Amino acid sequence: MIQFSDVTKYYDDDLVLKDLTFTVGKGELAFLTGPSGVGKTTLLKLIYAAELPDEGNIVVAGWDIRKLKQNTIPYLRRHVGIVFQDFRLLFNKTVFDNVALALRIHDMHPKEIREDVLEILKEVRLKHKAHIYPQHLSGGEQQRVVIARAMVSKPTVLLADEPTGNLDADTSLAITNLFREINARGTTVLIATHSKSLYQGTGRRVFHLRDSNIEKETVG
Amino acid sequence: MRIFLYSLQTALKSIWHEKWINLLTVLSISIGLLILSSFIVITLNMDSVLQRWSKSFGLVAYLDEDLTKEAESTLEELLRQDEDILEVRYISKDRAAQEIQAILGDDARILEDFRENPLPSSFELRLKTELLDPELVRKKAEAIQEMSGIEEVQYGEKWLSSLSTIAQMMKMGTVFLGCAIFTAIIFITYSTIKIFFYRRKDEIETLKLLGATKSFIRLPFLLEGLFIGTTGGLISAFALFGLYSVVLVKIPELLPSVTILILSLPLEAYISVPLAGALMSFTGSFFAVGKIRY
Repeated sequence: MIQFSDVTKYYDDDLVLKDLTFTVGKGELAFLTGPSGVGKTTLLKLIYAAELPDEGNIVVAGWDIRKLKQNTIPYLRRHVGIVFQDFRLLFNKTVFDNVALALRIHDMHPKEIREDVLEILKEVRLKHKAHIYPQHLSGGEQQRVVIARAMVSKPTVLLADEPTGNLDADTSLAITNLFREINARGTTVLIATHSKSLYQGTGRRVFHLRDSNIEKETVG
Repeated sequence: MRIFLYSLQTALKSIWHEKWINLLTVLSISIGLLILSSFIVITLNMDSVLQRWSKSFGLVAYLDEDLTKEAESTLEELLRQDEDILEVRYISKDRAAQEIQAILGDDARILEDFRENPLPSSFELRLKTELLDPELVRKKAEAIQEMSGIEEVQYGEKWLSSLSTIAQMMKMGTVFLGCAIFTAIIFITYSTIKIFFYRRKDEIETLKLLGATKSFIRLPFLLEGLFIGTTGGLISAFALFGLYSVVLVKIPELLPSVTILILSLPLEAYISVPLAGALMSFTGSFFAVGKIRY
């Protein structure tokens, strides 16, 4: 589902990733870890084509990233749900509208949008807060809105960048369980985190990123 | 269609949310368009006046003294066959004398000193309107002068030249003003939409990451620009209608002789103002949104 082959990435003259090769299979839940600034976010950006590799190939859900044209990038992104570290919620829109935004771009019927949004909000246990603005929610609730927005269009791949970075232990656990539920439905999930507690004891593959490459691969 | 409706809804919300900036932009556009349309209307009226004047413009071809009646007829036939000449009027020596007597009135007694009628026969020629360019008229006059039996060709060279210069200056002024206002309106809309674009930068970034196409991102801004320009144009058209109605009523009172020269504006002229506003603002918005990179 996600395949990196000898991928190298520079930011100007700074080497970020060097000859990176790894694969995340269809329906797999995997973790990407490493110290801050090691390139976890860059790696995720390469998956949703916010950055392009300088060398090597990346294939995501059948899309060859290097061959993508500007006009086709949106169609790749509709297959990739993203949970951002900084949430990227729109504070002038309600929870419902934030989540619905991901469906409006699909030209869906408003009735279908309403049904799907309320359904996903129910799954993340926020249906009762559908008409509240994000600034009135706790950090954990905001994170669940972001997950709902990433999942509402039923993507084949879900990426999460430090999804529990700003949350307490209990909320982190709840968010982790939510990712497991999503993965159990067949979605490929890749979570970038520097928090051991998130992957320890999960029995899932963990890629340890260090010095521009995967230093080791363990099982959490 | 649903995307269009959503974009329209987004544009209308933004118009309401940013109502003061939008109002200022609309008013600026309407003032610009009103100045331009007023200038065009003045130019059209001036042009109409000049056209009326130029219809009375003519050349006079004086004939040789010893020209026979047959030769005069042949010459008249030749002139009538010329496609550049609209009208040929023969003025005999006697007719010329009668006309000059009518013009001179009591002073016509000075003609009594002549034993014979000193005035030559002539042809009064009226050229096609599109030929009323000083250079073309000069060439035509020279060509007629070359014809056998023609003594001299006279026409109001200076008058025609001045008329032509005025008409050209008015047209050039309109084009210059049109370009200036066109650019100004594009720039005004560009600035306004650019401000909105930057204010919604976070939303645009999120939309890009969610998989929104470029047209989905652009459409609300283009619709907003279109609305601003059309509204500005509508206000301008109504103001023009009001001003012109006042002029139509007031001018005949103040200058009765000018009444017949004022054109009434057709509906198409009023419709073209909001259309021009829409086109200019749409162009400004298009450039404001610019290239979208993922």
